[in-house]
Amino acid sequence: MPAPRLLLPWLILLTMLGTTWFVWNHERQNARNELHAQFDFALRETVSRIDQRVAAYEQMLRGVQGLFATTPMTNRNAVRDYVETLGLDANFSGIQAITVIERVPSSDKAAHVAAMRRFGFTGYAIFPEGAREIYAPIIQREPDVKRDRTPIGFDAWADPVRRLAMQQARDSGLPAITGKLQLRIDKDADPIPGFIMYLPIFVPDQPRENVAQRRDHLIGWVSASFRMRDFMASLYGRPTPGLALAIYDDVTPSDAALMYGNAEAASRHPPASGNELRAREYMVVGGHTWMLTLATQAEFADHFASNSAFVIAVAGTGLSLSMALLAWFMITGRARALRLAAEMTRELRHMAQHDSLTGLPNRVLFSDRVQHELAYAKRHGERFAMIFFDLDKFKSINDNHGHAVGDMLLRQAAERLQKAVRASDTVSRIGGDEFVVLMGELVAANAALALAEKIRQAVRHPYSIDGRELTISCSVGVAIYPDDGDNEVALFKSADEAMYRAKEDGRDSIRLAA
Amino acid sequence: MTTLRLLIVLLITLGTLSKANAAGPDCSRPYTLALHDHGLLYSAATDTGIDKDVADELIRRSGCKVTTSLMARARIWQLIESGALDFSLSGITNTERDKFASFAWYFSNKYYLLVRKDSGVRAQTDFAQNDKLQLGVIRSFRYSPSANHLVDKLQAADRVSQAGGLAPLYQALMLGDIQGMIIEPFDYPTLEEKRIRAITTVIEFNDPSIAHGLIMSKAALPPTEQEKWRTLVNGMRSDGTMRRIFEKYFKPDLAAAMVDFQSP
Repeated sequence: MPAPRLLLPWLILLTMLGTTWFVWNHERQNARNELHAQFDFALRETVSRIDQRVAAYEQMLRGVQGLFATTPMTNRNAVRDYVETLGLDANFSGIQAITVIERVPSSDKAAHVAAMRRFGFTGYAIFPEGAREIYAPIIQREPDVKRDRTPIGFDAWADPVRRLAMQQARDSGLPAITGKLQLRIDKDADPIPGFIMYLPIFVPDQPRENVAQRRDHLIGWVSASFRMRDFMASLYGRPTPGLALAIYDDVTPSDAALMYGNAEAASRHPPASGNELRAREYMVVGGHTWMLTLATQAEFADHFASNSAFVIAVAGTGLSLSMALLAWFMITGRARALRLAAEMTRELRHMAQHDSLTGLPNRVLFSDRVQHELAYAKRHGERFAMIFFDLDKFKSINDNHGHAVGDMLLRQAAERLQKAVRASDTVSRIGGDEFVVLMGELVAANAALALAEKIRQAVRHPYSIDGRELTISCSVGVAIYPDDGDNEVALFKSADEAMYRAKEDGRDSIRLAA
Repeated sequence: MTTLRLLIVLLITLGTLSKANAAGPDCSRPYTLALHDHGLLYSAATDTGIDKDVADELIRRSGCKVTTSLMARARIWQLIESGALDFSLSGITNTERDKFASFAWYFSNKYYLLVRKDSGVRAQTDFAQNDKLQLGVIRSFRYSPSANHLVDKLQAADRVSQAGGLAPLYQALMLGDIQGMIIEPFDYPTLEEKRIRAITTVIEFNDPSIAHGLIMSKAALPPTEQEKWRTLVNGMRSDGTMRRIFEKYFKPDLAAAMVDFQSP
């Protein structure tokens, strides 16, 4: 049953490759999950860092809000000192300014302007100009750096984007941030996205439990204004490398709404080899929505991916092949040994039956063929011929040119003999320069003589050996069964005698047994 | 005689009072309670909602000083776990939360899948099958078992957008950036309700109602204190206060269905 046995190595190969695939796939899945987990973590982390920063600024602003629980809004020195003690250093570099805004109903406008002028702001006016029901002019801005600053008196309520956040802060009593806007201090510059955070200020010691009470007792706001890119730069912690981060105002990812894009987002690197991970998160910051988009780039995958899946694939395939090969060797070992033995036996048998120099059948095999031919001829009443021939004066070639040349001549002569006879005839070398041909199925003695003549001619052609041209002839004796003998020995003897007669008659000739 | 009788009555009254006090929570320190902006539960814009009413009543009954603040839900769970925050409201539990939080149940409700009509989703299973559909969820929120299963499955397939609150999810749903979200009966924002209903369908999850309750931080409150606060909540349920609060926001039959339930 060699077939099923030989299937085993294939089975082992398939099983092991299957196992390798399973482990490789599992590992690849693991790596993918790991990448996912890292990405989710990075997203959560980014959101959390922004949240924390906003919370820190909120706390700071609550401090200013708290100040007005103890001192009137018009106490400019208190505000200035307070902001100074905050020490708005690099840690708060996101903040451009802290402002105090007073709520001024139209009925109080004139009194408000007069009061501001009395404070020393001689040219004070609320702008943009125009009659409105409510004004919310900026009455103080800290730190008060004169350069690039617009004068106080800007009515934030007149701007719908600012007004929305101010209303929200008023109604909720909580911090509220605006949508994307260009800060007043940047009004002459290229567009730089920014936002403002507002906190309401209420009349101290008055209830503010519900919206109505809060609206009734609102006296103003404190606000902090931010440039988005400075705000993002002030976040704590290190961002994860290889992630393109963009932040949009509200929920639409349009260029108009883009508030921030990091270097990776701006450079638009090619995404990580087709396996890009993307996510969006809708953050709620100070009652306002920011949409954050995060996408992985090649660097991210390089940073977190492991190549163990590749190692598993290579090692597993190698091992599978080795194991299958080993199994194949073990299974086919016996078969190959038997085949080797058979080959050797065949070779030995060939050696035992053939002449080692010319490769022609030797005396043993020739005898065997003669016996077969005899049996066949006897049974069917047929004839066959035994043609004996001996190279003339071969000894002198050996003597003059050496045995090596003699051997080569013998080999060439043997080749010519084989070409001269029919495939069914047997040519054998039986001695040094003696050959014999068994020619079966003989119709007439003439046919044997014709073959003998063909052989004689073939032998007579010159031989080219080692650049030398040699010639030789042969003497041939022909015996026919059953005329010249009815057994092997008798036939041999007849043919041999005929061959000697040819020699005696001057060689290079053919004689039929008498 | 009269004086003696008066004295006895006074003593008994005092005794009952001190007993009542002993049954109430320990007010020797101020507590913290956080609300999250979430539909009818609490609207920061108006500072009103079910949770706000429940909190006010609970604080009144406890007699303790409790500072309330507004936070994202994810942060609330984080602070409850650490013990930095004592209470929050309308929490549901799971194995993990049980480790750090204790609950006093006061209402229960089912969860629903709200999908855009144009998404072609007819049944709950349709949503997961269409790779193009994106689900919006609020960070750290958990739901009923089938809803949790759906969220986890989509999360693994990168099909979930996280949000810090309900409002942006509705906006994203209206814009078609997400095609579905998981909601509870109190999740419709009053202003937008009509517009939202016009383009969406509600699919019910085949799960029983899930109990919601007062969340108490195990790290901040010893078990005896938790039990006292739980007694207060149960008192609000048994005397009809809870039902009255819910009836302010829902039709009577829905309010009744939410507050009348078997505590788990």
